[in-house]
Amino acid sequence: MIAERTAGFARQQHRFFLFCVAPSLAVLAIITLLPSIYLLVTSFTPLSLTRPETLWDFSQPLENYRQLRADERLHNSVWVQIKLSFWTVLLQLLIGLGLALLLNVKSRLLEALRTVFMIPMVLPPIVVAIIWKVIYTPDISPMHGVFRAIGWNVPALITDPEWALTAIIIADTWEWFPFTMLMVLAALQMLPQELIDAAKVDGASGWQVTWHVTLPFIQGVLLVAGLFRLIDSIKAFPLIYILTDGGPGSLTEVTNYYSFLQAFNFSYLGFSSAITVVLLAATLLLSWLIVRVVGWGVRVD
Amino acid sequence: MTGLAVVLAVLALSPFVWLLLMSFKTNAEIFRFPPRLLFDATLANYAALWTSEFRNSFANSLVVSVASTVLSLLVGVPAAYALSRWTRRGGGAITLWILASRMAPPIAFTIPYFLVYRHLELLDTRTGLVIIYLTTNLSLVIWMMRPFYDQLPRALEEAAWIDGATMWQGFTRIILPLSGPGLAATAILCFLFAWNDFFFALILTRTEAMTAPVAVVNFMNYEGWEWGRIAAGGTMIMLPVLVFSFIVRRYLVSGLTGGAVKG
Repeated sequence: MIAERTAGFARQQHRFFLFCVAPSLAVLAIITLLPSIYLLVTSFTPLSLTRPETLWDFSQPLENYRQLRADERLHNSVWVQIKLSFWTVLLQLLIGLGLALLLNVKSRLLEALRTVFMIPMVLPPIVVAIIWKVIYTPDISPMHGVFRAIGWNVPALITDPEWALTAIIIADTWEWFPFTMLMVLAALQMLPQELIDAAKVDGASGWQVTWHVTLPFIQGVLLVAGLFRLIDSIKAFPLIYILTDGGPGSLTEVTNYYSFLQAFNFSYLGFSSAITVVLLAATLLLSWLIVRVVGWGVRVD
Repeated sequence: MTGLAVVLAVLALSPFVWLLLMSFKTNAEIFRFPPRLLFDATLANYAALWTSEFRNSFANSLVVSVASTVLSLLVGVPAAYALSRWTRRGGGAITLWILASRMAPPIAFTIPYFLVYRHLELLDTRTGLVIIYLTTNLSLVIWMMRPFYDQLPRALEEAAWIDGATMWQGFTRIILPLSGPGLAATAILCFLFAWNDFFFALILTRTEAMTAPVAVVNFMNYEGWEWGRIAAGGTMIMLPVLVFSFIVRRYLVSGLTGGAVKG
């Protein structure tokens, strides 16, 4: 009798949960899954908006992918992407870690400073891009003003082939160091004080505590923060669009940006779709890696 | 150490403060170096903005951001609750799907949406933007709310069921009110995502549905270098963001990482 009622209850509960989840899954399927499939489909066509007949032309489905392998400009864009990702992720981790260690002290002032340091990250990306456009435009830039005053002859960084990518890296690092800083701070707050006390009792210096106790404790967080920043660095757009437009030449043209140019400047949507499919696969792989590292898949209930 | 931290904070914030000051300067003042500390502040840049098309774009941004936030919460919150209580298999795959939707490069959605919107006549409409913002915001809602529900003990709704409440009542009358702070934080983050978006709006709008970030960039590209107005536009876009971010600063990290690290 009771068993029967519990079984009925379980069924009822199951139906209720389905009723709650179904709308979300249906909407997500329509707005994310279908478009991804459509993207894959267009990547098999030579689609160009100037030639409408190319929309359903599947005569040479793998032609775009063959071109991917031959396109020098694309290969250059991947190389630019690697340089940008490497330097921004590295600098953001180092600066974020340094600041977090500096600010991880119980004090009203330092807690207020955390909020202040957070500002670059929460600013709309377009505002960040405008801020750096101002700084990199010699006429109105306070930075160039200072350089002139002390007699340095510094070129406009974003139009200079030697400096353009560095200029983007600096701006991107400024925008996102708060992210790694906040993540490390969150992890540091979970560091048991006993561990530090024990090390100090054993005679460890401040540096030794940081190196042998604190760093090992937060290395997992650093890895996750780095992975998140790595995925985001693949999406870099507003900074490049506003500051350099991919130039000079294609020195700051990352793959995402090249794909954007192919699709919406040159109207080669088919080819651009093929590039984007590869990008999407890369982000999927990295997301899967994060899920594995964080261990969301195995939920303990 | 504290002194060093203060110096670094001032240094890190100076680019931001510079833009803020610029929005109150005349053109002559903007080009002056070294800058005067006390300049005659003017609101002319803001006045010029408010009488231009920018006002419409600002309204578009507001409407689209609010609409996409409300929709994502309506659809996503029950799902977050159910997924939190659901112990069946498949949870991992759904998690990966949701994470991937958050992480996908925007261009991956933009190309198919652009092609389909041309036929559905959704290009340059607010509706079109609301739909594409759902891709990120719906995932964000599920992702942020689930850990909140994980923390609420099951005994709460079970007690309500025993007292004769239906499951739906248990959810709406017991669980929802308890998750108020989480809902507020999630709503704000959804709003901010839509409000901050540049890429989707750049490609899917032209004039009618243009949002504020795209409008500001248009000052640069089409109306010469009106630095004062650009700075004023930028400031107006970032003001609501700064206020809201301050309110939800505790939830920022878990919102961005889906609870990988709890701040």
